[in-house]
Amino acid sequence: MSDTSAHSGMPADELLAAEFALGVLAGAERDAAAQRAAREPSFARMVAAWEERLAPWAAEIAEVAPSPALWDRIAAALPDTPVRGLKPSLWQSLTFWRGLTFATGALAAACIGALIYIGNIPRLAPLIAAIDGGGHHHFVATLDAGSGAVAVTPAAFAADATRVPELWLIPADGRPRPLGLLRADRTVTITIPRDLMPHATRDAVLAVSLEPQGGSPTGQPTGPVIASGKLTLL
Amino acid sequence: MDLDANRSLIAAALARIPGGDKAALQTVYRLTSAKLLGVALRILGDRSEAEDVLQEVYVTVWRKAADFDAGRASPMTWLMTIARNRAIDRLRAGKQSRRMDPIDEALDVADSRPIADGALETSQDNARLYGCLGQLARDERAALRGAFFDGNTYEDLALRLSVPLGTMKSRIRRALLKLKTCLEPNI
Repeated sequence: MSDTSAHSGMPADELLAAEFALGVLAGAERDAAAQRAAREPSFARMVAAWEERLAPWAAEIAEVAPSPALWDRIAAALPDTPVRGLKPSLWQSLTFWRGLTFATGALAAACIGALIYIGNIPRLAPLIAAIDGGGHHHFVATLDAGSGAVAVTPAAFAADATRVPELWLIPADGRPRPLGLLRADRTVTITIPRDLMPHATRDAVLAVSLEPQGGSPTGQPTGPVIASGKLTLL
Repeated sequence: MDLDANRSLIAAALARIPGGDKAALQTVYRLTSAKLLGVALRILGDRSEAEDVLQEVYVTVWRKAADFDAGRASPMTWLMTIARNRAIDRLRAGKQSRRMDPIDEALDVADSRPIADGALETSQDNARLYGCLGQLARDERAALRGAFFDGNTYEDLALRLSVPLGTMKSRIRRALLKLKTCLEPNI
């Protein structure tokens, strides 16, 4: 992390944060930076610092009054409460999820279904994937199709000393799209980028590969795919 | 207008949203929507697209207001970042043409004065940034301007300013480093 780009004289991570905040990145690079900002507090702080540095420039942008009808459209589009998903305490309880290791995929699905009933009922039906390999549930993923948030909880996944688990979305076209790094010790929630959401449908596959620290350097899996599972309705 | 008062109003309204207070969201909308529409419109160049983005922005604010930390970020910067990112994502996903005309030098910092903006930063932050932008080379400033205001990528900028991609990357990275060194000389 302390390596410094030869071109800029800034640490590589900070340079990436600056480029992301400025908006010059595109495609997989932009998606990867957005994922890092979502899951790495230290990277998110660098991005936020660059947003603050650049923000005063926007004083130049003229204000444009929205159409009078826009507020009504927004008010009509609001979910009833701003609270997202389930209570994090139960949702992120490792003990609870580890217990699911012993359950079948169907039983796991039923448990999650019951939990969702106890908590808020999302407006769109969630999708679930048991990410299995070698006869184990390595991870369990649930996707809120409304917000694009996919919560991935470790079950029987054993951490590897040198490599980190990375989550991929593999839609019907068979091309893996990187979603972000997972953790062996807690639930990670990743927001699927907007442009990928049309691919995050029933029967799309979530897969986990083992990658070098920091994730795949190429945007495609470079290590072994250890587990995968289809997104299905509860 | 009292800049700090406006900032406090926005922050206070944001703090009420996680409890489900729609009037608070409407307050945020009233105070900020014209600015955010200006930001999105500048990037997308199409009013109806920009209003669609604005709708997504305020629905996002409704859902994520609990993530806003008034101790760490300015409320307007937080909102503007959501608007810029949504507008850029839509620009990248869509097929509409990006702004590729010559970058408007008439608005270049060398000729323009910092504009006090109630909803945005204090005029002090504003003057500091303009002072540092003024120290950049003209071509560096033009590249940053195309990225920040028009949502151009490295590749867009290389085409727009007719330089090789590698040159454009070096130029922007150099400009970012100079900017940071100027804004925070002690770091």
